[in-house]
Amino acid sequence: MKLAYYPGCTLHGTAREYDASTKAVCKAAGVDLVEIEDWNCCGALEAIFDKELSMGLSARNNFKAQKTGLDLVIPCSICSHNLSRADTAMKKDEAFRKKIERALGEKYHGVKMKHLLDVIVNDIGIDAISGKFKRSLKGIKAVAYYGCLLVRPSEVSKFDNPENPMSLDNLIRSTGADCLPFTQKTKCCGGNLLMSKQDYAFILTKKLFDEAKATGANCIVVACPMCHMLLDGQQTMIGKVHNTVIEMPVLYFTQLIGLAMGLSEKELELDKNMVPASKLIGSIGKEAKVEVKAASKAQVAEAAE
Amino acid sequence: MIKSSELDPNFKYEIAKEPGGENIMKCFNCTGCTVGCPVMEIDKSYNPRRILRKALLGMRKEVLTDDSMWHCASCYICFERCPQDVKITEVIGAIRAIAQREAKAGKIKIGNNKPLFDNLFIDSVKSNGKWYEAGVSGTFMLKTKGIGGAIGYAPMGLELFKKGKLSILPHKIKGTKEIKRIFEEVEKK
Repeated sequence: MKLAYYPGCTLHGTAREYDASTKAVCKAAGVDLVEIEDWNCCGALEAIFDKELSMGLSARNNFKAQKTGLDLVIPCSICSHNLSRADTAMKKDEAFRKKIERALGEKYHGVKMKHLLDVIVNDIGIDAISGKFKRSLKGIKAVAYYGCLLVRPSEVSKFDNPENPMSLDNLIRSTGADCLPFTQKTKCCGGNLLMSKQDYAFILTKKLFDEAKATGANCIVVACPMCHMLLDGQQTMIGKVHNTVIEMPVLYFTQLIGLAMGLSEKELELDKNMVPASKLIGSIGKEAKVEVKAASKAQVAEAAE
Repeated sequence: MIKSSELDPNFKYEIAKEPGGENIMKCFNCTGCTVGCPVMEIDKSYNPRRILRKALLGMRKEVLTDDSMWHCASCYICFERCPQDVKITEVIGAIRAIAQREAKAGKIKIGNNKPLFDNLFIDSVKSNGKWYEAGVSGTFMLKTKGIGGAIGYAPMGLELFKKGKLSILPHKIKGTKEIKRIFEEVEKK
């Protein structure tokens, strides 16, 4: 499989480990990624409310992808939303298409594009990808966090149920890791408010940690660099502001399946995550021990009573 | 008390003309948008149903100067659940666009920092083609928190820099002229 690849700004910056692990996992799965030339910012969440500007900026990337003649894969949920929305508008709204064609001096015919999770779960398929796994990740107890734009609005993102998506849950389970029920899986992390209303963003993200911890999870798995920025990048700050210690590793789903594929921590850039994942990785294959410990703790508690 | 003499019956048409605002008149105020809103859960003053109702009634100034509309996190839950396909997230965007134009023309004042950050971000994309994280975040911090506040974020910036996640200089794409032309085209109304 050969696909055009749009990394988006964060994957060349704060989410570099998502870029590295995407490339490593795709290579191991036999997917060739061809990065589109001279791509630009999709407008992200900052232009999302300026609909025409957001779609115009995104459309330029679609033109670049069109030149490759390949289908396009996008790992960032925000970019994926913006580029897909622009593609639809370019096909359906003639006045808008003419504006952008005038700006770029080219004709647009359309590009097939998908989020990376959709490609891995539905195009490659969980059976085929798990055939490449070399070790079980038993010991990892994850919750799958989808956030917002990965599955909403369903008129743009069509590959999973917008209220109770399961594709990431199923992918996590295929690695041998546990994936626990998580009612916050599509709740907002507040990423768009991080700069202008940080206290709200922190409250929204803190709620996710609270439930993840209550379910007994030892990590959160995400598919969006903005979610990761809040959950991983801001975790220490959120802990400080809310007077608690969170210590919850947050992995990109590509880092998780990369581990199952036997790829090295270096290739997956696990050292670039702000919250260390070393303890989590140490827990792989040691579930029995953990359970014994838990049992003995319970026994101690019983004895104390 | 709402004074009907002070209402602007054209406001809803003004919103409907703005990209994203087209469906506002389909709203029948069922509150579905508001009960699922994660921001409303932590701040009752943010109420998308009320913003829509006021807009439809023509409470133009009150809607445009309502600070709470800048609290929308663009999570699209209301957009997804709306039985009337009002596309609320985008309607909020349309209202914000009108508010920003009014503020530029000196007719209203916006107290919220959200448009400041968004505009710094968009300006950096306009000149570079990509967003300039260090520059935009730094300028925003200086403007909103002053030097003392901005310095408070230096340790995090340094940590990101050490991990190779933050670039000091902006990345410029080759096609910045194309980006400028896109801006020009969409700015023509």
